Amino acid sequence: MSRIQSRFQGWGLVAPALLWTTAFFVVPFVVMAAMSFASLEGRTLVWGFSFENYARLLEKAYLWRAIIVSLEITLTVTAVSVLLAYPLAWIIAFRVPQRWQRLALLLAILPFWTSYVVRSYAWLLVLAREGVVNQTMLALGLISDPITLANTRFATITGFVHFFVMLLTLTIYANLIQLPPNYRRAAMDLGANAFQTFRHVILPLTLPGIVTGAFLTFVLCIGDYVTPQILGGNTELTVPQVIMVQLGRRADFPLASALAIVLMGIVALAYLTSSRWLRLDRI
Amino acid sequence: MTASVTLTGLNHWYGTFQVLKDIELQIEAGEYVTLLGPSGCGKTTLLSVLGGFVQPTEGRVLIGDTDATHVPAVKRPTTTVFQDYALFPHMSLRDNVGFGLRMAGMGRKDRHARAEAMLDLVGLRDAASKRPHALSGGQRQRVALARALAVEPDVLLLDEPLGALDLKLRRFMQDELKTIQKQVGTTFVHVTHDQEEAMAIADRIVVMNAGRIEDQGPPDRVYREPASQFTADFMGENNHIPGNRISTGIETPFGVLPGDPAITAGAAICVRPEDIRADTRGSFQIGNAQLRDVAFFGTYCRAHLVPEQAPDIVLTAYLDAGRAWAAGETVALSAEVEDFRIFDAEQK
Amino acid sequence: MMRFLPWAYLLVAFVFIYLPVGVLVLFSFQSGGLPVPPFNGPSLRWYETILSDPDLMGALRNSLIVALGSSAVAVTLGFLAAYGLARHILPGSALMRGLLIAPLTVSYLIVGLGLLIVLTRTGLGLSLWTAAIGHVVINLPLAFAIIYASMGAQQQNAERAARDLGASEMKVIVLITVPMLLPSIAAAFFLSVTLSWDEFIISFLLTRFDVTLPVEIWSLLRSGLSPQLNAIGSFVFLISVAVVLLLELVVFRRTRP
Repeated sequence: MSRIQSRFQGWGLVAPALLWTTAFFVVPFVVMAAMSFASLEGRTLVWGFSFENYARLLEKAYLWRAIIVSLEITLTVTAVSVLLAYPLAWIIAFRVPQRWQRLALLLAILPFWTSYVVRSYAWLLVLAREGVVNQTMLALGLISDPITLANTRFATITGFVHFFVMLLTLTIYANLIQLPPNYRRAAMDLGANAFQTFRHVILPLTLPGIVTGAFLTFVLCIGDYVTPQILGGNTELTVPQVIMVQLGRRADFPLASALAIVLMGIVALAYLTSSRWLRLDRI
Repeated sequence: MTASVTLTGLNHWYGTFQVLKDIELQIEAGEYVTLLGPSGCGKTTLLSVLGGFVQPTEGRVLIGDTDATHVPAVKRPTTTVFQDYALFPHMSLRDNVGFGLRMAGMGRKDRHARAEAMLDLVGLRDAASKRPHALSGGQRQRVALARALAVEPDVLLLDEPLGALDLKLRRFMQDELKTIQKQVGTTFVHVTHDQEEAMAIADRIVVMNAGRIEDQGPPDRVYREPASQFTADFMGENNHIPGNRISTGIETPFGVLPGDPAITAGAAICVRPEDIRADTRGSFQIGNAQLRDVAFFGTYCRAHLVPEQAPDIVLTAYLDAGRAWAAGETVALSAEVEDFRIFDAEQK
Repeated sequence: MMRFLPWAYLLVAFVFIYLPVGVLVLFSFQSGGLPVPPFNGPSLRWYETILSDPDLMGALRNSLIVALGSSAVAVTLGFLAAYGLARHILPGSALMRGLLIAPLTVSYLIVGLGLLIVLTRTGLGLSLWTAAIGHVVINLPLAFAIIYASMGAQQQNAERAARDLGASEMKVIVLITVPMLLPSIAAAFFLSVTLSWDEFIISFLLTRFDVTLPVEIWSLLRSGLSPQLNAIGSFVFLISVAVVLLLELVVFRRTRP
C-alpha cells in the first residue's frame, strides 16, 4: 500500500466524524457566537457587531445577579461534594475489606442511574413541607412547624451535592486504589501516623485526580438547568435558567447567546485555574 | 544502632492456608541474614511479620529484649526497603530520605544535612534535588536504602531489593549492600529467591520451603552439607541417585556407598555436578558413561552423561573446559565418597 | 470511637445517597393521590396508570429509538475516526483530535442552543431526528476517545499480520480490529445509550411534538407532585439498574483477567 493511498484512506475514515462535528457543532457554535453580537429590533433580528448584549449583562441586575448566583452555587457544590466524597472514597478503598469493595462502590453509585429529571423531583419529595424530612423532624420534636426546605438555594445545592458526591466518590476511589499500597506502608514504616500519611503522601498524590473531578463537577454544575429549575425557588435564577427564559418568553436569542458565551468564558477560566494545579503536580 | 531478633513459635494463616509453620529463628545483632526460598514459601510474609505489617496468628517477635509482637509498623525500630522501592514520586530525593526524620520531628536544617549525608553514603549526594522518576533502577534502589537507614533502625528489612535490576547491576549492588551493612552495623534481613545472591551477601542463609525453615547456616555449610534434600536441590544443581539401606551402607546402581546414615529403607542420594570427575581417581567409581551432549560455560563444560550401569539415569557433570568433549564418547566417572549427601527418600 | 467513625460515616453517606431513591420507589406504591407521608399502600394503581398512558409509552419508545440510533451512529463515526487517526499518519492529526473532542468541553445547554439557532434560522424545523443529531454530537467525542485510547500496539501487530497474509483493508477492520476492540466498542456504545436515554436539555430544546421520556416527565412535573411520577421514575430506575447489573455481569466481568 502506497503512502498516498494510505493517506487517502485515512482521510476517508476520519471525514464522516469531522463533517458531523463541523456541521452540527462548529457551525452552530460560530453562528451562536455571531448571534451574541447581533441585536433585536422589535421582533426582527439585526446581524451586526455590537456589544449591546454584553453591556446589558452588566447593566441589568437580574442578569449579573444570575452570574453571581451561578458561581456561588457551583463553588459551594464543588467544595462540599469533594469534602464529602473524599472520606467516603477513602473508607471504601482502605477500610472496607477487599472482597466487599466492588459491591460497596457499586452501591454508592447505583442511584446515579435514576433519571436525571426524576432525581431532582425525588429530592423535591424529600424536602417538601409535607415530605419525609419535615415529618421526621416533627415526629422527633426537633421542630414544631414544618420548615421550608424545597424551593430554596439549599435544596438546589442538596440536589447537586447528591449527584456529584456519587461521581466524585467514583473518581477519587479510582485514584486511591491505583496508588501502590507500599506508599502507605513505607510512610507508616518511617513513623508517619495515619493523618501524616494522608497529609504528606496520599493527598499530594491524589491531588491531580481531585482537581480533575472538581473541574468536571464545576463544568457540569454551572451548565445545568434542571436541578435549580425544579429545586430552587423563583427568587433567584442561575445563568442556564435565564438563558431558557430568554429562549422562551422573549425569544431573545442574541442575549441568550451572549449568556452562553459568558458561561463558556467562566468554564475556560476554571480550566486555566485548575490546569495550573494539575501541571504543578504532574512533575 | 542494631539489635538482635528472636522469633519463637510463629504460625500464621491466611484464611485456612497456613503460610508460616513453627518458625523458630534467632538473628544476632549486626548479622546479615538472607531468607531464601521459592516464591510462595512464606519468606515475604515472615519479613512482613518482622516489619509489623502482618500480625502473626501465633508466636512472638522479640527485637532486642522487647516484645514487639503487637507493636505496629509505625512504632517499630525496623524499616523496610520495599521491592518496588515505594519512593514518594512527588518528593525530591532529599525529602524522601528525610521523610522519617521529619515524622520524628527533626527540624528542616538538621534533616536536610542528615538526608544529604545518607545520600552521600549511597553515592547520590549530587542528585539530592532530583525526583525519583529521573533515576535509574539501581539509583532508586539506593535511595530506598538511604531512606530506610536515615532513621537509624535497629533492624533493616529488605524485600527482594535487587529483584528489578539486571544481572550485572545486581551483582554490583550485592557488594554495595554488604559494604554499607558493615559500615552502619545494622542488622539486615534480606529476602531473595536468588541463591547466588544469598550466597554472595549473607553471613547466614535461612532456607524456607512451604512455610517452614528447612535449613540455616553459613553459605558454605548450607551449600556443602545441606540439611534436607530440598535445600540440596534449591542451592545449585544436583544429581539424584536412588539407593537402599543395607548393613554396610547404602546400595546404589554403582556399588555400595560405605557409612552408617540414619536411614531405614529407601535413600535419595545427591551429588553435585562439580564433584563428579572424568577420571577414575575418586574414592567411589561410577564407571563408564556415554556423553550425550555438552555445552561450553566458560570455566567448565556442562555435560549430560548416561552411565552404563544405570542407563535410566542422566547425570549432569561439570567437565574440564580445557579439553574438547564430543557427544557419543565414553567417559569414566568417579567421585569422593564424602561428596555424596544421603537423605531419607520418604521425606521430601 | 475512632474505630466506629468510618462505619458511621459510611452509614450516613449511604442514607443520604439512598434517601431520594428510597422515597421515590416507596411512594410509587402509594394508593393515595400524593407522594408524601403517611404511606398508605402498597398499591400498583400508579403503575397501571403509566403503563396505560399512551403519551408516556410513546415517549419511552421514542427515547429508546433515539438512544439506540444516535449511539449506533456515534460509535460508528467514532470508531472510523479513531481507526483513521491511530493507523494513518495524517497532517494536522492533533488538530483533528482536538476538534473531535471539543464538544465534551461545552455544556449540553450550549450545544443545544447552537443547534436550535441554526435549525430555526434555516427553517429546518424540530423533530425527534434533530434531537438524535444533537445526541450524536455529544456522544461522538466520548466514543472516539474511548476507542482511540484502546487502540494499542497489540492490535496493530495483529492487523499487520493480517495484511501480511493478504487481507484487504476492509477485511482487516471487520475480522481483526473490531473483534479485538469489542470490549471498548461495547463500553462506548452502552455509555452513549445511557447518556442519550437520560439526556434532557438537548431533547427539550430540539423536539416539538414527538418527545423523549425525560421531556415527557418534565411536562408531567409541571402539574405538580404525583405518585404517577414516582411510578415512571422507579420504572426507569429499575430498567437502568437491570442494564447496569447485566453489563457488570456479562460484558465487564469477561474482560477482566
